Amino acid sequence: MRAGVAALAAVALLASGCATSGSGDPIVVGSVNALSGAATFPEASQAARAVFDAANAQGGVNGRKIEYKVVDDKGDPAAAAAAAREIVGGDNAVALVGSSSLIECEINAKYYEQQQVLSVQGIGVDPACFASPNIAPVNVGPFHDMTLTLLYGSEVLHLQDICALLEIAGNTLPAYQAAIDEWSRITGKKLRYVDATVPYGGSDYTSYIVKARAAGCKAITVNPVEPDSVGQLKAAQAQGWTDLTWLLLTSVYSENYAKAVSEAGAGVYVPAEFYPFTDSVSQQTKAWRDLMTSKHIPLTSFSQGGYLAATYFLDVLRGIKGEITRESVTAALRGMKPISDPMVGTPYAFGTGKAHHDNTAGWPVKLASGTNKWEPAASDWLRIPKN
Amino acid sequence: MPRVDRRFALPLLLAVLALVLGWGLSVGLSGYFVYLGMSAVVACVAILGLGVVTGSAGMISLCQLTFGAVGAWVVSALNLVDAPGGFLVWLLLGGLAAGVVGLVVGLPALRLRGVNLAVVTLGLAAAADVTLVQIQFPGATEGVAVQRPGPFTSDRAYFLLCVIVLVLCCLAVHLLHRSRWGSAWKSVAFSERATAAAGASVRTSKLTAFAVGAALGGISGGLVTGQVGLAFPASFTTIQSLALYVLAVMSGAHLIDMAVFGAVLWVAVPELLKRWGVPQDWGFVVFGLFGVQALASGTNLGLLLRRRTGNEIAPVAAEVPPAPEPVPIGGPVLTVRGLSVHFGHVTALSDVDLDLPEHGVLGVIGPNGAGKSTLIDVLSGFLPRAEGSVTLDGRSLAGLAPTRRARLSLRRTFQQDRVPPGLTVAAYVRFVARRRLRGEEIAEALAFFGCPPADTPLARVDVGARRLVEVVGHLLARPRVLLLDEPAAGLPHEEHLAFGRRLRQVPARFGVSVLLVEHDLDLVRAVCDTITVLDFGRVLASGPQAQVLADPAVLKAYMGETELA
Amino acid sequence: MLQGALAGLAAGGLYAVLAVCLTLMSRLVRVVNFAQAATGMVGSYLAVWLVVHTGLPEWAATLGGILLGAGLSAGLGWIVCTWLAETDTGTRSAVTAAVLLLLISLSFILFGNKPQPFRPVLAGPAFQVGGVVVSQVTVATVGLAVLVALACRLLLGRTAVGVRLRALSERPTTAELLGIPAKPLSIAVWAGTGLVATLAISVVAPSQSNDPTSLAMLVVPASAAALLGGFRRLDLAVGGGLVLGVVEGAVAQSDHLSLVRYFLPLLFIVALLLWSQRKEVWDAAR
Repeated sequence: MRAGVAALAAVALLASGCATSGSGDPIVVGSVNALSGAATFPEASQAARAVFDAANAQGGVNGRKIEYKVVDDKGDPAAAAAAAREIVGGDNAVALVGSSSLIECEINAKYYEQQQVLSVQGIGVDPACFASPNIAPVNVGPFHDMTLTLLYGSEVLHLQDICALLEIAGNTLPAYQAAIDEWSRITGKKLRYVDATVPYGGSDYTSYIVKARAAGCKAITVNPVEPDSVGQLKAAQAQGWTDLTWLLLTSVYSENYAKAVSEAGAGVYVPAEFYPFTDSVSQQTKAWRDLMTSKHIPLTSFSQGGYLAATYFLDVLRGIKGEITRESVTAALRGMKPISDPMVGTPYAFGTGKAHHDNTAGWPVKLASGTNKWEPAASDWLRIPKN
Repeated sequence: MPRVDRRFALPLLLAVLALVLGWGLSVGLSGYFVYLGMSAVVACVAILGLGVVTGSAGMISLCQLTFGAVGAWVVSALNLVDAPGGFLVWLLLGGLAAGVVGLVVGLPALRLRGVNLAVVTLGLAAAADVTLVQIQFPGATEGVAVQRPGPFTSDRAYFLLCVIVLVLCCLAVHLLHRSRWGSAWKSVAFSERATAAAGASVRTSKLTAFAVGAALGGISGGLVTGQVGLAFPASFTTIQSLALYVLAVMSGAHLIDMAVFGAVLWVAVPELLKRWGVPQDWGFVVFGLFGVQALASGTNLGLLLRRRTGNEIAPVAAEVPPAPEPVPIGGPVLTVRGLSVHFGHVTALSDVDLDLPEHGVLGVIGPNGAGKSTLIDVLSGFLPRAEGSVTLDGRSLAGLAPTRRARLSLRRTFQQDRVPPGLTVAAYVRFVARRRLRGEEIAEALAFFGCPPADTPLARVDVGARRLVEVVGHLLARPRVLLLDEPAAGLPHEEHLAFGRRLRQVPARFGVSVLLVEHDLDLVRAVCDTITVLDFGRVLASGPQAQVLADPAVLKAYMGETELA
Repeated sequence: MLQGALAGLAAGGLYAVLAVCLTLMSRLVRVVNFAQAATGMVGSYLAVWLVVHTGLPEWAATLGGILLGAGLSAGLGWIVCTWLAETDTGTRSAVTAAVLLLLISLSFILFGNKPQPFRPVLAGPAFQVGGVVVSQVTVATVGLAVLVALACRLLLGRTAVGVRLRALSERPTTAELLGIPAKPLSIAVWAGTGLVATLAISVVAPSQSNDPTSLAMLVVPASAAALLGGFRRLDLAVGGGLVLGVVEGAVAQSDHLSLVRYFLPLLFIVALLLWSQRKEVWDAAR
């Protein structure tokens, strides 16, 4: 029974560390993020923290500081649910801002509805992020992004014989299928072939590439994470397939990816969900870039998302008359006027919709073989036409 | 009677206390800690299962969370079709399904031992991992949440439900540990040969352990689904299975309280890392380091916390009780004709004939390498390739496995220590005897051989006494024939003769015929009616004691060797 | 189908090399090393780290990484030889399972989970047979597998060191009595297999997706291949690795069989166990 005593002691130790915030000054804002494990997105919350720190340095909001709580969900469902309970139930956060996780939306959407708390998601990934009344991501999302990358391939690059290799993790297949159908509806074109059996996190993709080549594909759209995409490009390279165009998603748009890719076939094209951060002289990204550089936060799409989420949220917070509580914040977000930012093609508003999937503009960028560098591939936003 | 009461009262009392504690925590903790507590309880059920597989039965299982996924799958599927019975029934079915999957996986893997099971389970975990990511759990695509049962919908109430399930699982595991299954698990972990020699099937013992462990994994997986609301592949990854295995090893999870402690570590280590601002990836590094340390030092937290001081218990040198009325020696029970064994070009036994008379004590002696232990191995069925015939009570034993022979009343002991240290003396004796024994019966038999008392853990008994306990266990099985392979080897020399005098009484007291392989000629002289001498695998001489020992050929072969030794 | 099968040959070659390492470890130092691929993974990542952070030239860094991989393996071997000299294969292998967990998590901390900027040593197709492409990496891994297996066979069969190693694995007590240095030789085996595994992964990692988990988990198909040779025969281990890779590649060509693909190593293992264990065997010699 000594173990039992030790267990109790451990519980007591943990519980004692859990300080309860009284009706004191700071405004508690939280976020749930994938910070450890096989797939991590740390920059979104780092960027949001930088924005809040800057605001606090200037005296906070109506004299109240913002206390930003960042919790790791480890990519583990139980940990993600616990994280939401810690922030919303334990710390009584007024809202969630700048979260970025693979599973968080799906697991916590219902809980957020119950608790009547809203989440200004930094980077939404899973379909539930775009299908809940209480979650409104600031990014385009992989599904609209896939429609955009297909539009760019077929309408701008005039590619024929586009194929899709889908890495289906979780319940994403219907959402990607809908994105492809959207493209077909707009263009009247069909994909040459769809392979939805490509494994997520596989080690060798040669057989899938060989299959696509045998099917006569000239361009391939994939929804990869970075390591998988690198593997797919290398498999094509090993097969000597050099005239293949890759139509990928923002998930691979990073400096790191560009460094890891030396041979990119006929080019890798991505509709960046925010104004391309690799365009270092652009005015559009200056405010973000200056803040990130001063805080040594990596320049990525994720930090753009986190930055924007916090910026929008601060804007709304400053507009609140009277006490800042979960209720008033929720009401303000629901009733906010759309905010424009030069880093996005679609103004942001949380609104009262049952789902939030309204960001429909990306800025195409290109990675050519041997350059190890992303270049803008357009001079304006590429948009999904409204009906 | 009071003994029986105490045996069941203490676990029940602890169970009630655990429930009260669980209720207290469910109302007393903050919402977040209630949720963390749920994770700990769920992990505890899984670790409990690993405790059975790896801790008790000594097998390596690296796919505990894959069984969890099976349970989660069943619960989600039944929830999706809104099957009758509700969550608790689904949970039970999930556990059963996981147990069945465990059987199916274990069946081929257990034909080979140890590390192959590790390879198979790791392969299963890796394959299930990628497959689940691709095909998803039922209802996940539609977002159909698993309904928590009636009065347990809130987080606090569901935590209490998890505690109740955990307590029931702990009680079940506790009872299983006390049952024949539990003894068989500990026995098979220590020695497969000894398990078979006790008439227990090695394969069944392993499979039951594997299935029970898997079923607990399944229940744990079902509980996670209720906790999170949806089943996700990310809850059941290979790396988490690995971590859980390492945790079970380092905490010593075959002990129930250590399984609970392991589960507390499972949530406390990440939580503390979070509070100290250390990245969560360090959690598994810490587990890995402690796991290596635990395995390398052959210890675990359970052992460290329970380390008992005190000397090993040796056999008690007591008065040899007066001999009972001797029983008449009858016709042959065990007949051996033309027995030969070859290892490659080496002939270990050649054309051996033997007759063991009913209630007799036959001594088999011979120099080292004469084939004495090989003879016992052949008779007990461990060397099936032997030529010649062996009959027990006129029935041929050809082709029968060791387990079958043991059940047919042909028992043996081993020259090496093959007594599992994880059991108490009484549990071991009951396991080996394979029949219902009264406490007095055991106590009497133990006292006769000067063994330690029945409730002593075997880990505290010294080697000599352990081998006596082994003899007692097999005698209490009331076999027709008992083959003893140097039973006195662990005893101090001065006690050999006292042991011999006891052995002399064995046929009358236990109604058994004994074949004694022995090195010590004084002991043989004191005990055996007839003697067979082996030399280089051949029968050198055979017959009444005096006649054989007077044979010049025997003297030459045997004495020459003892002088050298 | 043929194209797909040949595409799987590169993976098959890697499985074969790792299977040879696993077989050697099992035969010579009585351990199924679950961390075999993970050691190679860490070694090849260290090579990239050396290029990025110390500016070493590519070849020197790769060499350094391979040596570090061998060193890591030797360190692990030292732990096992020092504290687990007397224990059974199961316990020794369990240690390597804990090390596998440790190395995967540690590599997340040290190297992150983003793709490493490997400069490929080999890239592009080597030649074509009837319109079917065979990549340079395929040639390299298959060649390496055969080469390593042959070299080990010669080493074990024809050299004094080999005889000592065999003596040590088959008659450990006798060998020690004869004065054969058990510990240094065992550690040398650990270092050797660590070296070969890191070399193979350094060749392959730049040419495929290379996150820590997928590289470390290569040990699963590799052990399936090693089981074909019963963890004893090198030629069968090589054959098993190649066959497994080819079958996987062929199966991936069919959408209906995509799930079967994941279970191939497992089915392979189970079938082999059923075949090789038709008869009852016992845990101890006596």
